[in-house]
Formats: sequence, C-alpha cells, structure tokens
Amino acid sequence: MRNSQSTASAGCTEMAAAGIKLHPSCRARQERFGLLFYDCRGPRLLFAETGTLLPADFYGTVRSRDEFPAGTSDSAKKALQKFVTQLLEKGFLREQ
Amino acid sequence: MSNKYVEMGMRSPVNLTWEVTQACNLRCSHCLSSSGDPAHNELSTAEALDLVEQLHTAGVFQVNFGGGEPFIRPDFEEILAACHARGIMTCISTNGTLISPERVARLASNRLVAIQVSLDGAKRETCDAIRGNGVFDTAIEAVKLLAATSIPTSINTVLTAQNAAEIPAMHDLARSLGVSLRVSRFRPSGRGADNWETLRPSPPQLLAFSDWLAASGDVRTGDSFFSLTTQERQGLGLNLCGAAKLTCCVSPTGHMYPCAFLQSDRFEAGNLRTSSFQEIWDRSEIYASFRNLRIHSCEECQRFDQCHGGCPAVAWHLKNDINGGDPECLERCVTSIADANRTAVAA
Repeated sequence: MRNSQSTASAGCTEMAAAGIKLHPSCRARQERFGLLFYDCRGPRLLFAETGTLLPADFYGTVRSRDEFPAGTSDSAKKALQKFVTQLLEKGFLREQ
Repeated sequence: MSNKYVEMGMRSPVNLTWEVTQACNLRCSHCLSSSGDPAHNELSTAEALDLVEQLHTAGVFQVNFGGGEPFIRPDFEEILAACHARGIMTCISTNGTLISPERVARLASNRLVAIQVSLDGAKRETCDAIRGNGVFDTAIEAVKLLAATSIPTSINTVLTAQNAAEIPAMHDLARSLGVSLRVSRFRPSGRGADNWETLRPSPPQLLAFSDWLAASGDVRTGDSFFSLTTQERQGLGLNLCGAAKLTCCVSPTGHMYPCAFLQSDRFEAGNLRTSSFQEIWDRSEIYASFRNLRIHSCEECQRFDQCHGGCPAVAWHLKNDINGGDPECLERCVTSIADANRTAVAA
C-alpha cells in the first residue's frame, strides 16, 4: 500500500487517545486506486493505494487505532496501522 | 507523483466551478464570462438544488461558486445551505459589493464556506479602472467585515499589465487586513478577449511575477483547479491541467465545460437538463479528449515536467489549438524577450 503525499506539515499526535476520526475539514471517497482524501484547509489531496481495504466512510465515526473492517488479514492490518499513523501525522485524521 | 492517479480517471471532480448566474452589477474589463445581464433560462432554484444533490451523490468535495456575482441570485444562500447540509465545502468568488454585516453573520455560522473578494490593484485608481468607480473602497469594506469572522477569506487579483507592479503592495494590503492573497492568471476569454492587448501582462512582467511568487511562500495562484502556493503545488505533485480530470465547470444554464475559460459550444460536454451530472462526467467525448490530451510539441522543453504544456484554454483562445502548448508560458516569455533584445541590437 502506498500513498502519494500532499503538502503541509504534520500535527503532533498523541497515541493514547480514545479514538480517531476524520478531521472535520477533510473528506474521503473511493477511487479506482483506493481512497482519495481531501483537506479543504490547503487544499490538500492524498492519494492512497488502499484498494478496497478501507471503506471511504470508515473514519466518519470514531474508531480505535486497532479497529479495522471485519475480515482484514493480519498483514493488511499492519499496513493499515502504518497508514493510519500517516493520516494522523498529516492531519487528515484526528484523535478524539 | 500524483499525476498518475489522476490519469487513471477519477470517479468525479474533486471540485468544480459553478457559475450560478451571469448577472453582475459590475462590468470588469477582464471578466472571463462577459458578465452583466443574467443569461436566458438560468437554472431554477429547483434545478440548482437537484444539482447539489447530484454533486453530493457523485462525491464532489468542493464547489467554487462564481458568476456573475453569485449574491445577486436571490436563492444563492439557499443553494449554499443545501451544499453545506450535505457536507460539500464551498468557496465563493464575489466582487464584495453585496457583502453586508447581516450576510456575513449568516455565512459565518457555517464552517464549510470560504470567500474570495476580487480586487485588482493596491491603488484605488488601478482597481477602479478595471472594476468600476468606487469598487475598491466597497471591496475593502467587505474584506474587513469578513476578516473579522472565522471565514477563510482571500483577496483575489487577476494579474494584468496595469497592476503587475502593485502585486507586492497587494500582498502587503492583504496581510494588513488579515487575509491571504491569491493571484489569478489573466486569460483571453469573455471581455478579457476583447481587452486582451490592453490588459495582458508583458513577458518581462510575467517573468518578474513568477520570480516574486517563488519567493512569496504564502501567496496562492489560481490555476484551473486549485488555489495553491508554489510549495504546495510542488509537494502535491500535480502539475498538469486539471480540466475534466479533477475539475469542471457548470454554467448558469446548466451546460458543463472542461473549465470556466472554455465555455463555448466547441467545448460543451453536456447539459444538466438532458443528462445527469455523472453521465456527463463519465461519458462526454469532450472530457475524454481532455483526459487524453498530451502536448507533444512541448515534450522537449526543459520545463515540461513543471507544466505539461500549460493552459489549454490560453492555447485555444490565442491559437485555436488546444494541442499546441501554452503560447504565454514562461519559456516562451524568455524566448520572446531574447528575440526582442536581438532585434533591438540588430536595429
């Protein structure tokens, strides 16, 4: 899984928060390659080659960092955990 | 690079320009759509609200409202509210003359809106020569009202021969008012075509602006699909025209085009009164041609990786050929200046 990063610096994130959610200034949608994230504050785009691993609305509700869609393999979970960290650093997700 | 994802084809635009009316209370000499009187048979309120629903279903993230002057439409705030109710982000391009404290208070109650106020000079006389007497002062008052709220606000300036020397002062003005500056390229469409020779920046002005922009990190430029700083554009890895790939344009009468600068029959992708938004986005031959557009004549240029041939709309308006590369690109500016110098020496 790869992502083509957009711009701007990351916000520092605490790892022990109750859950994570899409930032209110951000949106996500499914594309052929995976998920397209949009941040109107830049505006910034993030193209993520997630395929169909994550539904676009998955982080529309608060999730724990280790929570992934049912049936996600262990290897995919590892990749997604890294991806979630990147999304937090880039401000597309935020901790609640 | 992000270009490869874009070239795979997006399921819908990331954002789009929606010119909600052609009506305008100003007659700016560079207006890209020759706004003034409303267009015949503009979309009704019901049609506009239906379009908002379609944009939501399509997954469009942001709508950039323009015109004409959007606030002239009595139902504009209703259209805006419908976008916000569906989570669609909005940006309004306004001339600032219809911005009242009451309207600002209403707009500020929603966090999904951003506003650009047009201002075409740091000096009153420069701006008013392009936009009309008294507009500078009115627009400044509008910016002050907006800057006092949480609404992300910017001054939008179209770079012309007349205001090129004032751009740094525009930057200072924007800062002093607590808003950002966005500088748009002047393109020869609408009344801008009629006044092209008078208003077009010279090659030395364009090069000087390019240098200044590179050194002015927080100034945004408005290309065909985004408003970005130089650093953001490089970081994003998007350096190709976004028309029909990441963005598109909806006219006041529901016609769809690749971008706001190509609103003519030749480039009509469809009409929302006869086809759905998604059908037009997916099936338009015009859109397909823009997605497949490759400016081969520019491929040997040292700047090709930075611009991919530049703006097809400028190429069309000046050379009637969208395949020919941007006739006003920076590389051609350099060549043009060198040619002029050689001619002067020879004389």
